[in-house]
Amino acid sequence: MRLVNAEILKLRRRRGLMIWSWLLTVGSVLVALIVLLVLHAVNPGHHGPAGGSTNLEHYVFLLSGLGDIAAILIGATAGTQDVSNGVFRDLVVTGRSRATLFRVRAVGALCVFLPILAVGFAVAIGSSFLFAGGLPNATGSEIGHYIAYTLAITVVNTILAVSIAAFASSRVVVGVLIAWSAIVAQILLAINALGGVRKFIDVAAAEHFATQHMSNTNNRIPMSSATAVLVLAVWAAIALSAGRWWTNRVDA
Amino acid sequence: METVIETKALTKRFGERAAVDGVDLTVGAGVAFGFLGPNGAGKTTMIRTLLGLTRATAGEVSLLGLPQPAKRREALARVGAIVEEPRFHPHLTGRENLQVVAAARDSAADGRIDASIERVGLAHRSGDRVKTYSLGMRQRLGIARCLLADPALLILDEPMNGLDPAGILEMRHLIRAFVDEGRTVFLSSHLLDEVEKTCDEVAIVDRGRVILQGRVDEIAASGDPTVLLAIDDTEAARRVLSAETRVTNIEQEGRELRITLSDGLTAAEVNRALVTAGVAVSRLEPARATLEEKFLAVTSRLETSE
Repeated sequence: MRLVNAEILKLRRRRGLMIWSWLLTVGSVLVALIVLLVLHAVNPGHHGPAGGSTNLEHYVFLLSGLGDIAAILIGATAGTQDVSNGVFRDLVVTGRSRATLFRVRAVGALCVFLPILAVGFAVAIGSSFLFAGGLPNATGSEIGHYIAYTLAITVVNTILAVSIAAFASSRVVVGVLIAWSAIVAQILLAINALGGVRKFIDVAAAEHFATQHMSNTNNRIPMSSATAVLVLAVWAAIALSAGRWWTNRVDA
Repeated sequence: METVIETKALTKRFGERAAVDGVDLTVGAGVAFGFLGPNGAGKTTMIRTLLGLTRATAGEVSLLGLPQPAKRREALARVGAIVEEPRFHPHLTGRENLQVVAAARDSAADGRIDASIERVGLAHRSGDRVKTYSLGMRQRLGIARCLLADPALLILDEPMNGLDPAGILEMRHLIRAFVDEGRTVFLSSHLLDEVEKTCDEVAIVDRGRVILQGRVDEIAASGDPTVLLAIDDTEAARRVLSAETRVTNIEQEGRELRITLSDGLTAAEVNRALVTAGVAVSRLEPARATLEEKFLAVTSRLETSE
């Protein structure tokens, strides 16, 4: 626990990282909310209320998309900062195993990111109910889907970022993961010739938890929830194993 | 005497090049031990290998009597080390940097943070971000980080690097204080003078090999005696001394001659020979060999300079 607290301290004291993480998650939702509130106030006939089920879906779209970038930024920083600052060797000479030092990076990154995401969700869900006006509110099931989908995509990407950061610089990690999630995985999902193999793509497994409205229905790969969880767990496990292996192997 | 560091045929290769080449080293407890060598001699690689930061290609290492890497965690729990220049998270304060490392040690390390900061004289700056620290302050913070382990052994890689004269003096006093407390300090350096002033024992290393090891005073005093002569007529003195086969070397330094004696020739005999030949000797004294002379005599530096 002390090691995890130390990881959290290292991340939270990075002012730039924290500002961007909050802006991308909570900030993006707040900006969207304010825009919708202003539009509704100016022209209520043309622009509906800022809350309700549909607008919550929009907020969650921002949370999952931009929040994912925040998750990748935090994961990449957690994964690289000890080595890039030259402190990793000082941690190794305490006698702690490299595997432990690697593992706590992922836990620390999640401990920093998830509360930010939780605040983002609190703002999004709260606003959707508070400003619903006459619009229907999201059901419990929809909210569950939103949370599950966002958690799936961001948690796996945080772990991937921490793991890939064992091999590469933080900039490379951020670039690779954003390119993978936003472009490469989407292209692969659109190739019907790949058939059922596509269910092994992490983005496909995460999208299983999205509502029908949210996900790109053309790219939605049918699979059971158990399969989706298993696929995501395997991605996380393989990434963590590779990162741990390399951290053990490389000179400190 | 208890052995704190012991290596047997320790070797670390990078491809064909041996950075550490079959080193046998024994460091006893409660001494300041200098690991002396020119740049590129393999000092840092040796330290990294001792600490398990890089894997040895061959050989054995034991720290605090515990075989490495089998008993790595137990041994390193009582070892503090600075490898190369001390590095920190620049966005954290000095105290926070110590908290980060203390978290990787046992819980008692948390309780040593204040005392460690106090010990190195950084209490007034411990709340400042490390990116605002001078190199000397970072060196001191590095020592404070070592103290979190309450170390029986401190391994310091070039601790005087980048320090001003006052900082060097302070570091020397700190190291001697650690030794007085019964700790062992293993320090690498290319600064001969500092090793001579700070250390009790020394190993001279070159091209990955330990070529001389022992007490600093014994190494400096070893070899043929050297005598300094202050003479008005150095030419006449040279003629007299050249005739004596047991004078193996004559060097002139201004009005002084530095001569090396062998085969039991004494300074008194030299004096008698000169006076008998009518050469007035105004001063005659044994010249104490410096560690620098020994160092240059046994390392590749001499070959390079010749």
